Amino acid sequence: MTTLIDRYVTTALRRIPEGQRADIDRELRASIEDAVEARVDAGATHDAAVESTLLELGDPDRLADRYSDRPQHLIGPELYPAWRRMMTMLFTVVLPIVVIVTTVIQLIDDPAIGKVIGGMVTTIISVGTHMGFWTTGTFALLERVGLDQRALRGPWTPADLPEYEPTRLGRSQLVPNVAWPVLLIAGLVLQQFTFTDVPVLDPANWSFWWPYLIVVLGFEIAWAIWVYRTGVYTRAIAAANAVLALLVAAPVVWLAVGGHVFNPAFPGLAPGGEPLYWASLAVMATFAITALWDIVEIAVRAERSRRGLPVQVPGTGGL
Amino acid sequence: MTMDAALSSHLQELRRGTVVVASLTVLREPGYGYSLLETLAAAGFEVEANTLYPLLRRLESQGLLTSAWNTDEARPRKFYTTTPEGNAVASALRTEWTRLNLAIGDLDTPGSPS
Repeated sequence: MTTLIDRYVTTALRRIPEGQRADIDRELRASIEDAVEARVDAGATHDAAVESTLLELGDPDRLADRYSDRPQHLIGPELYPAWRRMMTMLFTVVLPIVVIVTTVIQLIDDPAIGKVIGGMVTTIISVGTHMGFWTTGTFALLERVGLDQRALRGPWTPADLPEYEPTRLGRSQLVPNVAWPVLLIAGLVLQQFTFTDVPVLDPANWSFWWPYLIVVLGFEIAWAIWVYRTGVYTRAIAAANAVLALLVAAPVVWLAVGGHVFNPAFPGLAPGGEPLYWASLAVMATFAITALWDIVEIAVRAERSRRGLPVQVPGTGGL
Repeated sequence: MTMDAALSSHLQELRRGTVVVASLTVLREPGYGYSLLETLAAAGFEVEANTLYPLLRRLESQGLLTSAWNTDEARPRKFYTTTPEGNAVASALRTEWTRLNLAIGDLDTPGSPS
């Protein structure tokens, strides 16, 4: 029959490197027996003495960790900030990109709504799990081989600080704000003449809607210059942005609902066909979501700048 | 966190390094794990067995203690002795302790020349 002491020592030794086991075995037993003896001398029964001695030594796994000087955490304070930044980046930037790309591929391959939604959910769960697991596993391994933050990215310097949006918006904001409407106008005009033999978009809309869109997109360019010259997002700018976003998105969504966005003569996009339905749905979703995103984002920026809160510039601040 | 919990966590922080100084000082005379535990407890150091025993091995691996098995008695025991390096470290730690004690005393009595 094994005694409580045997069981305790054996349990503790399980988690101690082979080479140290024999020595720790002897020493730990001697120490426990010394303590038991002292308690018996003080008047306790043998069983009670063993019990209280082992209770005082505590969880044998914990004791073993102390003997082998093993970290009692998966990722310690040295690596945790880098791990957290990496996870944030993976889940807010990489995962959405992967989901969008796989969804687009699925839409092209087989645009059945059930498969598209199922594919999105599967991608989010499987890619998210893999990213979380492998990142955490790598960091836990780094923790155990003793690589610290300095080895990963050098010591922290003030240059690692993130940049925040300056009070005055610079050219970095002007360029994309102007580039988008210009590209859309160019795409709208050029698809009529160059990209394909038959234009992709319905030429019937040149009677009103395509010129109308070009005019509104022209206002978007004017808005971008207004933002640049004002230097901050104000409530008026946010309101104008919302109006312009709706003036672009609402007619396009309306045209898409009626099936009037695409050229009925374009190969494969015949009226009543399945491809036309999905292409129209994609246009609808893209314009509606983009407009909503744009309205909210600019409103948030305007509100933050009104309160004087800084906004972190994406891509700065390091790993 | 209550006041008591805060105090006990600060006390723990403050005492953390003292067991090393005390052990290196006591073990100038050879001693084994349980005897050291008793000596430290009698001297008023609150240290637990599950902290002290691994600590002794760590100090040994740092070269501040040496050990030898004594099998003369019925129960074989591992005796630890402070090495010259261990003595030097202990003395440096005690000097630092004294300096900190004086410095805190000076802070406690403002206006006194330091």
